[in-house]
Amino acid sequence: MLLSSTVYFVFLTGLFLLYWPLQRWRVAGLSVLLFANYFFYAKWDLFYLILIPGASFIDYLIGRGLGTAKAPWLRRTLVSLSVFMNLGILATFKYMPFFLATYAGFSQTKAPVWHWTFPLGISFYCFQSLTYTIDLYRKDGKPVRSLLTHMTAVSFFPTTLSGPITRVLALAPQLEKAGRQLSSEDGGKALFRIGLGLMKKFLIADYLAENLVNRVFDTPNLYTGMEALIGVYAYALQLYYDFSGYSDIAIGSALLLGLKLPENFNRPYLALNISEFWRRWHISLSNWLRDYLYFSLPGLRSKWKVFTYFNLFFTMLLGGLWHGASWNFVIWGALHGAALAFHHGWRSLRGNKPASANLAVRVASRLLTTHFVILAWVFFRASTLENAMEVLARIASLTVSLANISMPIAVVLLIAAIAHYLPKRVYEFSASLYIRSPFFAQAAALAALVLAIQYVAVTGAAPFLYTKF
Amino acid sequence: MKIQSPWPVKPFLVIATFAVGIALPQYIPQWYNWRIFEWATVPAVVDFQPRARAAEPLQEEAERLRPDSVPVKPNSSRIHDPTATMDHFYASLLKTERLQNGAVTRILHYGDSPTTADLITADVRGLIQQRFGDAGHGAYLIAKPWAWYAHRGVDVSASGWKMDPATLKGQKDGHYGLGGVSFIGQTGAQSEIKLKKPGHTKLTLSYFGQPGGGEVKIMAGDVEVATLNTELPEPGDAEETWPVPPEAQSFKIIVTRGSVRLFNVVFRKEGPGVVYDSIGLNGTWAGVLAVHINGQHWIEELKLARPDLVIINYGTNESGYRNYVETSYPKDVREIIRRVRTAVPESSVMIMSPMDRGAREPGGVIGTVTTLPKLISVQAKLAAENGCAFFNTFEAMGGPGTMGKWYMAEPRLVSADFIHPMPAGARIVGTLLYQALMDGYNSYKLRQLRHNVATAAPAAAAAAGAPGGEARP
Repeated sequence: MLLSSTVYFVFLTGLFLLYWPLQRWRVAGLSVLLFANYFFYAKWDLFYLILIPGASFIDYLIGRGLGTAKAPWLRRTLVSLSVFMNLGILATFKYMPFFLATYAGFSQTKAPVWHWTFPLGISFYCFQSLTYTIDLYRKDGKPVRSLLTHMTAVSFFPTTLSGPITRVLALAPQLEKAGRQLSSEDGGKALFRIGLGLMKKFLIADYLAENLVNRVFDTPNLYTGMEALIGVYAYALQLYYDFSGYSDIAIGSALLLGLKLPENFNRPYLALNISEFWRRWHISLSNWLRDYLYFSLPGLRSKWKVFTYFNLFFTMLLGGLWHGASWNFVIWGALHGAALAFHHGWRSLRGNKPASANLAVRVASRLLTTHFVILAWVFFRASTLENAMEVLARIASLTVSLANISMPIAVVLLIAAIAHYLPKRVYEFSASLYIRSPFFAQAAALAALVLAIQYVAVTGAAPFLYTKF
Repeated sequence: MKIQSPWPVKPFLVIATFAVGIALPQYIPQWYNWRIFEWATVPAVVDFQPRARAAEPLQEEAERLRPDSVPVKPNSSRIHDPTATMDHFYASLLKTERLQNGAVTRILHYGDSPTTADLITADVRGLIQQRFGDAGHGAYLIAKPWAWYAHRGVDVSASGWKMDPATLKGQKDGHYGLGGVSFIGQTGAQSEIKLKKPGHTKLTLSYFGQPGGGEVKIMAGDVEVATLNTELPEPGDAEETWPVPPEAQSFKIIVTRGSVRLFNVVFRKEGPGVVYDSIGLNGTWAGVLAVHINGQHWIEELKLARPDLVIINYGTNESGYRNYVETSYPKDVREIIRRVRTAVPESSVMIMSPMDRGAREPGGVIGTVTTLPKLISVQAKLAAENGCAFFNTFEAMGGPGTMGKWYMAEPRLVSADFIHPMPAGARIVGTLLYQALMDGYNSYKLRQLRHNVATAAPAAAAAAGAPGGEARP
């Protein structure tokens, strides 16, 4: 059930109608949400109905154990058990075909067929579940007492496919809160976010993907260097609008049920440096990698700075590999890791001074950062390493023609770029205008949007890019 | 007593109004075209059918949501050849198969962008050479006029050439050689062509000789094969063939003096076998072969090539221009056929239709561009009128909407422009063409056998009835 499909919105409407009358009774409300979570998983595969409750129950017990255990060795054992279980789930149900193929390549035998692959949502589930046990191990919170609340929080459906990765200890208290109500303002915000997400996905991301990006990456040699470069810029915008569109729908869906999820994007191509970029792009993953991987690596408090640089590089390398088991993602992760380490070193050299206030320096920093990110996206998007090199070679050919950039593509690109750089207050003004509108105007705006998607956008319910990872 | 709504009031009203709004067009006939919600979607919410491919749930979801997403199984299709024009080609192929005196069968395949990248043609070449033997790679341009130009098993790096493809009409005299591109280079211009496999024993270079023409040196590996002086008393086309060491895989063409104008090289091996020349021009259309290229020049080039089969595989670019298809296109195709017939009257000529060309239709389904079926019917008619064979690639690959199915297939069989096949898609079309050629060839052999039996039977009967004759069971 894709978050952009009609089926999803029928499901969400049904849940809205069922949840609010029942949520005044805590157990009933939580039961409805838990049922919805498992219903959502079951739509992908019924096997999730064994896997997710089983893993959640074990993490719940480990959490209770961490809540009471005092002995460090016992706490370490418990958290290790959780880490091994969740990473084991990832390895077994997501990465096993890759492991088998790698082993087969190494031993020059035929890779056995692995039928137990359930890639969807597994990464995000495991990441979310690990936030719980690691936070408890670090004594950053208290265990969730109710099994029902824990199981509902850890498998909350809007975050299942692509996040935002939400800390269980941040979501559980919201679920526990009695007498929750959805104000008109929050309701309006929720619908606005969902509408905005659909607009980003269908009217910008999918349009750019089909009319330019996929073509350039499928057959780069049919395009001039200039067209290939525009194709790469278009991909940077496509990825942003696709993924932030997904996040908007997820955040809006949760808000419609009275729950607040963390923000995942903050105009990332405005970043002055690569460290700031990762504070603006896929914020929940960046935070997760920082809090649960980077901070867990050895040598963080060492006087040897080399550990810091290595850990930054290693964290991003693993982050790259998490996106996919291929050289493309290794290179992408390594590029970002190296850039982060370089920037960290540069900042230390300058005595951690704040960024320059000089306009020219700021513009140059933004251009440099954005172009580094955009060129690294080539490895992220290309189907193979050869494909990435083909695209880069076309750009390097410096051939100039814009024959394949039609006027509608140029207009959508321009709108996408401007919308990204618009000040936040424009977005806030639009949201408040929508929220203050009467109900029929809000409904009419949504209907007009759906009509526009039906008649302007072309690709139907294409999967969100980030559900792959 | 105040009655409290069980739902948050305003969001509920928005959702309810929205739901009514999008459901309404289903019930008002005048609004029917504006419907955006089907009640049929609702039961899909509780559809828990088990997945066939757990590893690819997104793909399965896409297939369930989209009517154009199920990959097509290609229909079998044959070459339409009522006048037996392909018999010359089949006869030549039979000689090759029988290994008669190093018999070589040569096929010239003219096409547009897929052919430029040797898509389809490379697959047919591979299959046909596997069965009948490899008599060489055939024609290859001495530099890449388009980055897209690529032949399987051959690569070229070049510098210093001014390249004029026939599509751009850069040469006023209309001389572009067999390959459709003219290359002009001054002293120092050079090309290095690398073949993946050794075994080629002959190299032919075609060029434009003229008074004051310069000189080129041909190298095979480190061995100098020849120095060619392109100076001729009168301007005209020429070609020169040299033996090359079979182990050589790298060939250099270097302009050592003055200015030269070259066209293409041809690599050949000792027969018997098949040479399958892939001659693609990016963005081409029928008018290029009919008008841009000088008629007499092309006729001479074809005479020198002596193909057994000429395949004209154009139409994709034309399908974007309905007016052209309905007005000048038939005239251009007739002129192409006239030129081929004049050059090589005994050769078989086949018109090969373009593949499907996809386009989004309202609602998002990928259909077929509207002009394409019309263009294909014009091609079929022209083939019948002019005694050419016809291969309907469009129908063979599945007919209307095939590119939509190919786009949704996993892995994708066509690129996002719904025109250029991915290698896996090209392999399907290549296999279809090969199978169609082999079907025709097998029918030809069967006809020959029947003919031989029919002519041999009276002779045998006469021999049996003759005095001293001996009847055999």
